[in-house]
Amino acid sequence: MSRQARSFAELASLAGLACWSCLAFAQPPASDAGRAFVGCPVYRDTNSGRKSGCWLATDPIDGVRYDISLGRTKPQIGHQVLVEGRLDAPDRPQQAGPACGGVVLRPVVVSVLETSCPAFMLPAETYPGRRFVLDPKLVLPPADVAERPPPPPYLPRTWSIEFGFGSDFLQYQYSEVILDEIGRYIRASRPRRVEVTGYAVARTRSISGERLAEKPQLARARAEMVALALRRLGATRRELHVTWRVNPAPLVDTPGLAEPSRRRVDVSLVY
Amino acid sequence: MSSARFGPSLLIGLGACVLFLSGAYARAGDSELLGALGWWTANSNRVFPERATYPDATGVVTVIHLGGPVDTRGHPFFTALGHNGRACITCHQPADGMSVSAKSLEARWVQTHGKDPIFAAVDGSNCPSQPQELAASHSLLLTRGLFRIARPWPPRAPDGGTIAPQFTIEVMHDPTACNLDPVYGLGSAHPMVSVYRRPRLPANLKYVISYGFAFDPKSGLPLAIDPQTGRRYAGNLLADRRARTLEEQALDALRTHLQRHGPLDAVQMRQIIDFESHVYVAQSADRAGGSLTDGAQGGPDALAAGKAAVLDSPRDPQWAEFASWKHDSGPHETPAQRAFRASVIRGIDIFNNRTFLIADSAGLNSMNFGNPTRNTCSFCHNMTRTGMDVAPGQVDLGTTNEPFADPAPDLPLFKLTCDPKYPPQPFLGRVVYTHDPGLALTTGKCADIGRITIQDMRGLAARAPYFSNGSAGTLRDVVDFYDRRYHIGFSEQDKEDLVHLLSVL
Repeated sequence: MSRQARSFAELASLAGLACWSCLAFAQPPASDAGRAFVGCPVYRDTNSGRKSGCWLATDPIDGVRYDISLGRTKPQIGHQVLVEGRLDAPDRPQQAGPACGGVVLRPVVVSVLETSCPAFMLPAETYPGRRFVLDPKLVLPPADVAERPPPPPYLPRTWSIEFGFGSDFLQYQYSEVILDEIGRYIRASRPRRVEVTGYAVARTRSISGERLAEKPQLARARAEMVALALRRLGATRRELHVTWRVNPAPLVDTPGLAEPSRRRVDVSLVY
Repeated sequence: MSSARFGPSLLIGLGACVLFLSGAYARAGDSELLGALGWWTANSNRVFPERATYPDATGVVTVIHLGGPVDTRGHPFFTALGHNGRACITCHQPADGMSVSAKSLEARWVQTHGKDPIFAAVDGSNCPSQPQELAASHSLLLTRGLFRIARPWPPRAPDGGTIAPQFTIEVMHDPTACNLDPVYGLGSAHPMVSVYRRPRLPANLKYVISYGFAFDPKSGLPLAIDPQTGRRYAGNLLADRRARTLEEQALDALRTHLQRHGPLDAVQMRQIIDFESHVYVAQSADRAGGSLTDGAQGGPDALAAGKAAVLDSPRDPQWAEFASWKHDSGPHETPAQRAFRASVIRGIDIFNNRTFLIADSAGLNSMNFGNPTRNTCSFCHNMTRTGMDVAPGQVDLGTTNEPFADPAPDLPLFKLTCDPKYPPQPFLGRVVYTHDPGLALTTGKCADIGRITIQDMRGLAARAPYFSNGSAGTLRDVVDFYDRRYHIGFSEQDKEDLVHLLSVL
């Protein structure tokens, strides 16, 4: 989410607080430009089987408690989180979802911050949570399944792997399937160069009164982490060209969120 | 090989079978007799049988060697290759499911007046500097079945280089005196951290060296590749993953436990690995439940035939070996057997489906699952047939770390202080008190403090005590630990059902 969009959301929120009666006549927004906030996660102990617990966090600016359970990284209780997301139902911006009891953000990216906050858990109360369903697109083939090389032609191509704020950790399943695909292309096509470019967002953002910026050296750490992964997937040291930069533009064609897409590593195969 | 060479080993197997069939095999006197016959010493020139059964705490454990009996004359697994009279077999007793139980060690101490090489000063005593003739100097081995594992400090990389650790280590309390010893301690010329651990099995190894997927989700990286074989390192060998391959494990054991100086020749190394790669161990009969292979698929044969590194899933549920016990199997099944088998089935249901909040467990909650996460026993024990992890399975259950560990005044306690430049232990912070830093002794990373490799769960009834530091004396103690640690709220019936499940694996 851009700084301008955030400012607009904050202003709108303040205006809403100042003129409560206006809300009754306000038209619901047709779409949601996105929101970002820093909050203290609350775990709601719902039980619809494995991994069915709910994660909630309140935006301190608008006071709304959001359901942030649908992020691929879940919070750590007792640690603040940076939440970046869009309303799942922008026409009902204040309506809590039936699964967890918070306004649902989807897509949503959750980053665990080092700063601590009170650990708090809620009982399920009347909420069922969400039964865990594994996305088949995130399932790697078992190691003993014969590899299917991608078919030619092998054209120059770029993949992007996103990271949580302040982190160089390659996220379970999400990163694995991307790296696995890159590895299969490298092994099948032996590109002339494998260009790995790491990025970090070193520019300071003010979110929920917190000033957040990534360390510039994180760009290098991310790039080197991906390069190490690619070496273990068959890229040679001669093929790999590793660079890093700060403050990139967001991805323009991302199906996800713009701001988190700045925290990424790009991998390009050059023939 | 002549039939005469089968000698006592075959008798043990036959004896146990006969006793089992007569329903009297579990009498204490018989067990002691068979146990005494079953003890293997180095250089005994016996034949390791193709199949041997041994009575244990709840029934019978069976050890098989695929490919037939093994003449152990001169075989490096059975030969004292070092300077202390031990062979590999010394600490991997078939009658104890290829580990060694505290009960057997105690009996062996009495029988040999502490002279058996298993009590060698190097690691069969609390510290080599202690008076070796005293049982008290071997107390951790005799009471908990723990051998001293001396890890170099700072840690060494596989290429022999030094790893700069992310934490300092102080000895807060050490009843063994070894970590403060001028020759063997942290302040010695060759600084060592002495931790105390149970021996793992040189058996069922295809499961230990297999991996389900090419990635280690706990580190986020693909598994590293062994340049010798082109295979990836599975990451499930030894409690702290200090050996990446069976070759490295064998060399580590020869150098430390057998006190061998110098390398092993390639033929001998191949013999050791060939032997242990063909050994399978599992419980095969239960005192109450009867045969575990008649209808059910327990026992080592099904284990040997099974596919390794299969992830628990609705298609391949954990402990499906006993699925046939859901239904009564006809008039030959006694009411007592039916009751026991129904209990095992309930135990499997709890193991696979009873969710609880898993919290503050490094290696697990530190992934993107969140902390806490609601899941089941089979979340971590996810490799079908062994209950190991299809990924490198180092997790901090809290068996060795304060505040979750049970009180253990007989074990050393270390204070680890993490350098602020590095990420802390994710749930215990920058200052951690631990009896065993586990994986962190291999990697030097704060984030790895207390992470211990998940064990093979087969043949458990033969090899108490449990957990890497022997902190659970019985299978019930194991269940009770988990119940306390994760506030699961098992009922007495739940606990009994889980113990029954664990006892038939």
